[in-house]
Amino acid sequence: MSIGGFPTGTGTAPHAQSQFMVEHHAELLDSLDSAQRRNLWRFRIISALVWVALVLLVGGGMWLASGAEFEFVQTSGPVIVLQGAPTTVLVSVLAITFATALAIIGALGRLSLNPIFSAVASFYVSLIRGTPLLLQIYFIYFALPQLDIVLPAIQAGVTALALNYGAYMTEIFRAGIQAVPRGQREAAQALGMPEQLVMRRIVLPQAVRIVIPAVGNEFIAMIKDSALVSLITIHETLFLAQRIGRSAFEPTAALIIAGAVYWTLTIIFSFFQARLERRLARSDR
Amino acid sequence: MRNLRRLALLPAAMLVLAACQNTGAGSTSQSASASTSSSAEASESQAADVKPCESEGIDGLLAQVCAAGKIVVSTDPAYPPQSFLNEETGEYEGFDIDVAAAIAERLGVEVEFTDPTFDAVVAGNWSGRWDMSVGSVTVTEERSQVLDFTQPYYFTPAQFAVLEDSSYQSVDELAGKVICAGESTTYVFWVEGTLTLGEGAPEPAPVPEGMTATTFPTDIDCAESWRGGRTDFEAWLTALPTAQDAIDSGNYAIRLLGDPVFYEPLAVAFDKAAEDNDSLLAAVDQIVGEMHEDGTLTELSEKWYEGLDYSTEQ
Repeated sequence: MSIGGFPTGTGTAPHAQSQFMVEHHAELLDSLDSAQRRNLWRFRIISALVWVALVLLVGGGMWLASGAEFEFVQTSGPVIVLQGAPTTVLVSVLAITFATALAIIGALGRLSLNPIFSAVASFYVSLIRGTPLLLQIYFIYFALPQLDIVLPAIQAGVTALALNYGAYMTEIFRAGIQAVPRGQREAAQALGMPEQLVMRRIVLPQAVRIVIPAVGNEFIAMIKDSALVSLITIHETLFLAQRIGRSAFEPTAALIIAGAVYWTLTIIFSFFQARLERRLARSDR
Repeated sequence: MRNLRRLALLPAAMLVLAACQNTGAGSTSQSASASTSSSAEASESQAADVKPCESEGIDGLLAQVCAAGKIVVSTDPAYPPQSFLNEETGEYEGFDIDVAAAIAERLGVEVEFTDPTFDAVVAGNWSGRWDMSVGSVTVTEERSQVLDFTQPYYFTPAQFAVLEDSSYQSVDELAGKVICAGESTTYVFWVEGTLTLGEGAPEPAPVPEGMTATTFPTDIDCAESWRGGRTDFEAWLTALPTAQDAIDSGNYAIRLLGDPVFYEPLAVAFDKAAEDNDSLLAAVDQIVGEMHEDGTLTELSEKWYEGLDYSTEQ
């Protein structure tokens, strides 16, 4: 759950570096002669082989250490993956959606000249970032009902994750807004646009584009943090792995399966994030 | 900016969220009749009686449960053979599950399970998150301050297990040693000397001097810790059926040690903080009594505990 050290001033956007790398990579390819291309392929093949070897070594080693029979993967693997993974993705997608909305509002508050709006936003960020996510999850599930606010388990989990990530992402969005070159705003003002319209039509669209890679990062982090909601009875991946693992007296093997599920999910979403980043970089050429 | 306008879709997203309420949440409704239809005599004798939910003039929590048409039951599905998830389907199974389903059927409602951690159940103040616990909760004086109990539905021995190749031959040899147990269980209370079983329960054995306990969220983790090669403790104290099941799984090189140190009465529990739970407590207490009399509990115990009848006091 890092928010990275984005420059808060004007100028360099967070994606500028990756954009540079993409362009750099393309130029590099064009400039290669056939021998260099062969070398490049050799590099790729060897690194792929090393990956495969590492996966087998680490995964197989962990499995051997667990002392489990492979049969367990066949009997219990499908139920952990098919029932757990969709719930993990559902909770994460819903939570990141609400967190993004909260973050935009929070960032506008953090930058607002209205002292009330600004104080509320900075209080929110301070309180949520200053307390553990696990505590927030417990609080929303167990304590809010004392005030007659009884959110069902999934809603409680999504609310806690959204509130928590919304606070971290508030800072990302604030940095994104501040990273939009000052000249953009000045030009719009010079055309006579009112302040609100400048924010909505000129600054925010550019800011959103700047922060999308960082939001993708947060989403990938959230897929793993969503495992914490297993403690409030949500049958997501880790919950099912723990309960089914203990039921079958194979808890460690079940954890390895859950680990593989989370890893696979993050690989899939990292792939989409990289594509999205490349697409966004295109318009900057 | 169009993206901002999409914020207006938030309420719609909220609705989607509300609709998702039952997807994957820890609540699987299942027909209450399924697992109890096996006891033919029981249902015959029951058919003549009026189910509590069908009788006139009910009030309090019972009336609420009947109106909802379902009773939410907490259980910890990591405790084979009492309560666990089927390793192929992920469905709830076990003795506690069958007992809860039978109680719901006799009340005249559906059963729905939820699975908070055990320490959350015995801490009381459930905030209406679930209506009752059929989770092999031992009746103790301390818990009676926050929970209301029915009469016990079964009794289990508390049993020590040790590594197969250890030298221990009796419980007394564990004096001054560290043992392992599940968090907030009666096994920990016994070691700490704070176990006070409800009235009528047989006196627990004396605790070997200087014995201390280390805990995990649930009992099975103790055995798993040994299996991984950890030796932070010398013995594991848990329910005899759970220890026996672990041994029978063939996954752990452990054996039972000595006689059971105490016998615990396990009862259905209700949250004392819940308003008007008297009506539901009385109805379920009566149902448990009937299930003792007509042999349903004996039958279920023999089904899950390898032919042993734990429904009566040893």
